[in-house]
Amino acid sequence: MFKKMGTTVLALTMTASLMLAGCGKSNEPANNGQSGAGEGGLLPYEINMVFYGPPQKDLDEIAAEMSKITKEKINATVKLVRIEPAAWAEQSILMLTGNEQVDLIVTGGGDYSRQVAQGQLVALDDLLQKHGQGISKAFEPDVLGASKVNGQTYAIPTNRDFASHPLVLMRQDMLDKYKLDISNIKTIDDLDPIFKVIHENEPNVNVLGKASAAASIANRLLETRWDVLSDYIGVLPNLDELKVVNLYETPEYADMLNTIRRWYLAGYIHKDAATSKETAVDYIKANIGFSVINKGKPGAVGQTENRVDTKLASVDIGSQITSTTSITSIMLGIPTNSKDTDRAMMFLNLLYSDPDLINLINWGIEGKHYVKVGDSSIDFPPGVDASNSGFNLRQGWMFGNQLLSYTWATDVPNLWQEMDKYNREAKKSIAMGFTYNPIPVKTELAAITNVTRQYAMGLETGTIDPEANLPKFIAALKAAGIDKVVAEKQKQLDEWAKNK
Amino acid sequence: MKAMANGSTLKRAMKFKMLYIMLIPGIAYLLINNYVPMLGMIIAFKDINFAKGILGSDWVGFKNFEYLFKTADAYIITRNTILYNLVFIVVNLVVAVALAILLNEMKNRFFSRFYQSVVLLPYLISSVIIGYLVFSLLSAETGLMNKTILPWLGIDPVMWYSEPGFWPYILTFVKIWSTAGYLCIIYFAAVVGIDQEYYEAATLDGANKFQQILKITIPLITPVIVIMTLMQIGRIFYSDFGLFYQVTLDSGVLLPTTNVIDTYVYRSLLRNGDIGMSSAAGLYQSVVGFIIILASNYAVKKINPDNSLF
Amino acid sequence: MRANRLEQTVIHIIFFLFACICLIPFAVLISASLTSESAIIQNGYSIWPSVFSAESYRFLLKEPMMILNAYGISIFVTVLGTAVSLIMMTLLAYPISRKDLPFRNVIAFIIFFTMLFNGGLVPTYLMYTNVFEIKNTLTAYLVPGLLVSAFFVILIRTFFTMNIPSEVIESAKIDGAGEFRIFYGIVLPLSKPVLGAVGIFQIINYWNDWFNGLIYITDNKLHSIQVMLNTILLNSQYLMTNVQAADNMVEAGDIPSHGLKMAIAVIGVIPILITYPFFQKYFAKGLTVGAVKG
Repeated sequence: MFKKMGTTVLALTMTASLMLAGCGKSNEPANNGQSGAGEGGLLPYEINMVFYGPPQKDLDEIAAEMSKITKEKINATVKLVRIEPAAWAEQSILMLTGNEQVDLIVTGGGDYSRQVAQGQLVALDDLLQKHGQGISKAFEPDVLGASKVNGQTYAIPTNRDFASHPLVLMRQDMLDKYKLDISNIKTIDDLDPIFKVIHENEPNVNVLGKASAAASIANRLLETRWDVLSDYIGVLPNLDELKVVNLYETPEYADMLNTIRRWYLAGYIHKDAATSKETAVDYIKANIGFSVINKGKPGAVGQTENRVDTKLASVDIGSQITSTTSITSIMLGIPTNSKDTDRAMMFLNLLYSDPDLINLINWGIEGKHYVKVGDSSIDFPPGVDASNSGFNLRQGWMFGNQLLSYTWATDVPNLWQEMDKYNREAKKSIAMGFTYNPIPVKTELAAITNVTRQYAMGLETGTIDPEANLPKFIAALKAAGIDKVVAEKQKQLDEWAKNK
Repeated sequence: MKAMANGSTLKRAMKFKMLYIMLIPGIAYLLINNYVPMLGMIIAFKDINFAKGILGSDWVGFKNFEYLFKTADAYIITRNTILYNLVFIVVNLVVAVALAILLNEMKNRFFSRFYQSVVLLPYLISSVIIGYLVFSLLSAETGLMNKTILPWLGIDPVMWYSEPGFWPYILTFVKIWSTAGYLCIIYFAAVVGIDQEYYEAATLDGANKFQQILKITIPLITPVIVIMTLMQIGRIFYSDFGLFYQVTLDSGVLLPTTNVIDTYVYRSLLRNGDIGMSSAAGLYQSVVGFIIILASNYAVKKINPDNSLF
Repeated sequence: MRANRLEQTVIHIIFFLFACICLIPFAVLISASLTSESAIIQNGYSIWPSVFSAESYRFLLKEPMMILNAYGISIFVTVLGTAVSLIMMTLLAYPISRKDLPFRNVIAFIIFFTMLFNGGLVPTYLMYTNVFEIKNTLTAYLVPGLLVSAFFVILIRTFFTMNIPSEVIESAKIDGAGEFRIFYGIVLPLSKPVLGAVGIFQIINYWNDWFNGLIYITDNKLHSIQVMLNTILLNSQYLMTNVQAADNMVEAGDIPSHGLKMAIAVIGVIPILITYPFFQKYFAKGLTVGAVKG
């Protein structure tokens, strides 16, 4: 016995000493020294910007071009750290746990509240005062304020589409062929006669498809009708009233499910809809689709038409709304891992005010990746297309102020003016500016996630019968603690409203 | 007395200096790769705040574990995880050992080698691809089952991805399909390693093939079987994430029969990405697995000390 | 004699059926990779392409250098990793197989324990990136997690205890051979079967590993073939789970097609299919050596 203990102790001591060696280093606090941030003499610095997206051959070249601009303006160079979308969930957690230098990171939604709660993002208010004039100018104050958590800003929303409205897109050629009139469509329940004709005459066509792989048929309607308060668990059914309710218990939700189930039973919806990755766009492209319920924004119809290569008729079934959720879904934040937060903010400011910089990261290098075809309109250079371009990222919604960038030739030239107008005219939720902190109920949310996972997709694609399953769904949600979550949200919302 | 015993052991140990030196690279690696990160288990008991650092974050006791036991889900996922693994272990064992013995009986060497390659094939493809393949069979509208096989048998199409009842069978089949070949190769190596003299002696004694398999082959490969089985029992509280997540296409309706601890934790964390809670789940799995394997090792030791792991 | 032929026939039939079950999905895989996209969406999968198209491969081979580079990295990592890990694991397994070694059970337990407990992703990542700084180096493919597996160490140890009689070692000792000499000169030559088997499994493990790449490699010039292929597959998976990103990213229309996914799988599996028979020859040879001398 003693012999054994001797070695065990020996082994443990060795292990422990190694552990300490390992951990001592790993927990070294990130150095936030304001190296060379003083006025006048800025020391050279490399800014690491971390984001996700598909690979781009000429990314390093873009970074070099951007560095030329930033070198001159803030004596810093730019390093673009692109992460594969597949690795983003892991990397966005891991990169901020160690002491890797990250000066700017794309964040939003659930990532954002987690990073704030875990102390991984720097509070930006003071930095905004010092270096953020361009940012403040780009936004209306209540939009910029939407990301505040406990009165402090930890990330800046990118300037893009903040609002959306529900619309139905249908293939024009089929509408013409069967002489269908769509002018009377006001709600989704008016769609049945049209769907019926298409289904009877074109049995191979999936009449209605999903808007995106992850979105149920109902998803777009929910998102553009209610303020979903970041996660659908507790929503505002009335945009003018500070009253949080359980979405899944509302009669509107039940009605919507019945409609979708009716369509499913009639054969309008693909039987694999709940698990399939195919979207309506894929179906229409393959000539076996007809329509989709999606959310609209300026330019959306044209962009979809380009992808499916056929003319689409669109019917708006509501007007645009905006909420904290839609504004804060994509933002840029400065992690505590940054070695020079001042410089990171100066760069961030340029991303909201310097069109040259923005066009570089949105579209690439002029003459190589795009050429101008109008005042602010651009297209591929001769001989270049989407398949052989060295830089075709098209993620302008992710980098600062998209409204300052050029528009692509296939869009209307004044897209950004329209977008700005559309954003401003959107109906604002009364809870705009309220950011919900899920941490106090994270245990309940973990359980609720699994419940919604089990029922929501099936119900919202019509695959399972709402009559039997909606009550089960609601009961399971209650068992998981949804009432507590709704109450917590209401409490936070009331407090926020009081201090506003 | 004790001191003397210790002294002599040390002296004896000195004689094996070279053997201990041989151990150094491997042990050093395990310390770095496995033991040092184990210190990270403290994360399971902390409310992590990176502004304070991992060591400086507040202790929260067992709060990170609560969500695991929050609902009836805890029972379902525990039951599913253990039952599935038990079935997998038993069916895999029977199929793999049977195949290994049959493979050894095969006289034609070309075919023997050919089959050795073929049975390993399914082990080589990733679960994402397996998911696509299963979908190609079971898709409600375009799958081989609903389009060709069921109509041919005169059976109505089945909505596979919304019928939880079928999935225990489907998942078991897929699991056996993908791993039985791999296990078969391991057992085959053990069977081939058996000294031919045993069989020659048995043939002289007039034992038939079946008796030989029962009395010679199986007892002689039992140590390998026990090890392989104990290993799998040790992982009984873990589940093949790819199988339960990719192959079911993450279909929510199937959760009652397909939700296991790994998929539950994954889905929960997808929402809040809390490393404290994920560490808690990992620790819970480790502890339960550890207890189970200690118990089974103890049982094996009682029956036959030579076969136990340690 | 007749009974024997019947027996062989039955065995062949069983294996033929099992082989079919194993092979048919591969036929579907290859056929789908050669079928045109709209044909898959309309007709579903089949064993023979309904409408032939090599578009998926053309797309993948658009930049052959990228694929070749990734293959190069995979081969380098697989060869070096398998070699080093076999050496380290054999060195670990042999001493604890010796019944006369003091503390062997303690050491065996230290090794075995690593199979049950792990510190989790975050601490492991912190240690490897902060202390050893392996992020975006090839070491990241070789070292974390894969080098020494307790499972294989125990497998090798069992082989040693079962197949190497202690009398052989004792007599070598009496002849004056040192421990290392015994290991190198006697034990290793006897261990070809188990080293062959473990070697093949390590080759598969190194070749198929993409998790280390996902965690430690963000520079896509350093992507191994599996990381490259799985990334393409999982990028579309990401769109399934993240509605927001999906909404924005679909504008770029970058979801890989069915045929492409299958072509990716084919490209990842083919090298193993080609090399396996080659290794299997050694594997089989090793097994025979073990059987004769064991």
